[in-house]
Formats: sequence, structure tokens, C-alpha cells
Amino acid sequence: MNAWARAADLTGAVLLFLGCLQSLLGVIGMLRFPDVLSRSHAATKPQTLGTLLVLVGVALRLRHGIDVGTLALIVFFQFLTSPVASHLVARSAYRTGQTGSRGLLRDDLDPQLSDMEQREE
Amino acid sequence: MSNLFRDRSPYSWSFRIGSGRRVLDLPLVAWLTAIWILLWGTLSWANLVNGIVVAVCLCLAFPLPAVDIGLRLRPLGILRLAVYLLYDMFSSSVEVTRQIFAKGPYHAAVVAVPLRVRSDLMLTATAVAVSNVPGGSVIEVRRSTATLFLHVLDADDPGEIESARRQVWRMEELVARAFGTAEDIAHAARPVPEGDTPP
Repeated sequence: MNAWARAADLTGAVLLFLGCLQSLLGVIGMLRFPDVLSRSHAATKPQTLGTLLVLVGVALRLRHGIDVGTLALIVFFQFLTSPVASHLVARSAYRTGQTGSRGLLRDDLDPQLSDMEQREE
Repeated sequence: MSNLFRDRSPYSWSFRIGSGRRVLDLPLVAWLTAIWILLWGTLSWANLVNGIVVAVCLCLAFPLPAVDIGLRLRPLGILRLAVYLLYDMFSSSVEVTRQIFAKGPYHAAVVAVPLRVRSDLMLTATAVAVSNVPGGSVIEVRRSTATLFLHVLDADDPGEIESARRQVWRMEELVARAFGTAEDIAHAARPVPEGDTPP
């Protein structure tokens, strides 16, 4: 095992650790934030940066062309699909009024939605 | 010559089969073949040929209309977008971590951000890029006015709302420079709407 392989292994291990740390922070955020919309901020952390760090770490340890390609494919689809899911959760949470007990400091969306309802009537 | 090449749609590499509306789209076939090979996990001639056959069969069995959705691939722009996205993911992650451990209650806000681009693809790509960054949560997208509605944590801090809006506009410009047509880039280069009044 030469020095380059050793360095790649070490970097991969560090990235795996950082990715796990991101996921842990995301979970702590889920527990500490009070409402759905705030929690979705914390929940995107493990899903994007955490996954990216873990997969890059795995790629550095595997170091095989085709495996790296498959991992890149996973990252690509993860980045393309996770916003759709989080958007739908946020959208339904907002429309069912789960914006937290303290309410919003400012809400630009509510007047627009009520406008639309009036126009439809 | 290079300019002509740069603003060419990937759809110009597609051609019609027969008289019907079946269109063989070469970039799509190449992309499907690449996924096929990656999923099998070995690069061999058999996999390559099988992949091409499957991709062509799929394109013929489920014909898609040859629509130019306005996608252009600009390598330099994509590189800049990727670098900025990585930087933004790390810096926003630190910010969200700070908010997780900040004590005391806070007020959140829902903020409208009017975009300058008009095409559907740019609107979608910007929304996807914004939601991939920790701390960016898109609640609603209004297509008619090209407006994103963001959920902002910690809106008690007066600079927070403005910085969230600036971040979206910066992302919009980078996305247009990576994937947009010349027209999209011109739209995205216009000055941002000033003032903090909701529409």
C-alpha cells in the first residue's frame, strides 16, 4: 500500500465521520425545533450534505471507476428528488396551519392564497 | 462557430423515425445507456450493446414530444454552480447548527422572493438548488409570477430575511448561467427588485 492509497483511505474515513456528524446534528435539530417547517430545515442537512460526505468518503475508499460512477449517480438522483419530497411536506404543513404555536413574524403567502380563494368564489 | 455551438439545444441531435411522431433523441439514448451500464456495474461490450438496444426500445415505446425546454449545458457555468453550491452547503450548515443550539424561542417568517427568470426550467432548477442547501425550505412556487416562497428561521434578526432573498437571487443567476439559454441569462442579469415590500 503506497502513500497515496493511505492518504485516500484516511480522507475517506474523515469524510465518513463528518457525514455521520451531519446526520447526528440533523437528528438533534429535529428534536429541538418545535414545528414541522423548522424541522424541515434540520432534516435537509443529513439528506444533502450528509449523504454527499458519506458517499464521497465511500468513493475514496473504493477507488474503482465504475463504483465511483454508481455513487455519482446516487448523488445526482438524491439531489434531484429530495427537494420534491421536502417541498410537498412543507407545502402540506403550511396549508394545514402547522406553522408553530408562536406564529409567523411575517407571512407573504397567506394574503396571496386568500386572494385566490376569493377570486374562485 | 463556437458561439453557434454554445447556444445549441441538445434536442437538435434528435431525428424523426418514419412519418409518425416517434423521435429518437440521441442525448437521451446516451444518458439511458450510461445509467444501464452503471446499474450493472461492469463496463463491457455486451452491456453497452444491450443498453443501447434497451434505450432505443424505450424511446420508441414511450415517445416523448420533441420539445425544446430551453436546456443548455454550459460546462464552465455548471462548474461555478457546483463550487458555489458546495460552499453554500457548508456555510449554511454551520448557520443551521448555530440555530439548533441557540437558546430561546425565535420567530420564523414566510418570505416571497420574486425571481427575474421566466422559463419553467429555470424556475424549477432554482427551486431545487435552493432546497438542497440546508436552511433553504421552499414552501410554495407560484408559476404565473415566478415567485418562490421561503421559510426563514430566526426572522427576528432584521438582516436574516434580506440575506435569504439575496442568496436566492445569487443562486438564480448561477443556475441561469449553467443551464439557461442566452435569453435566460439576460433576464437573470437584470437588477434585483429593490425594497422589502411584499407584492
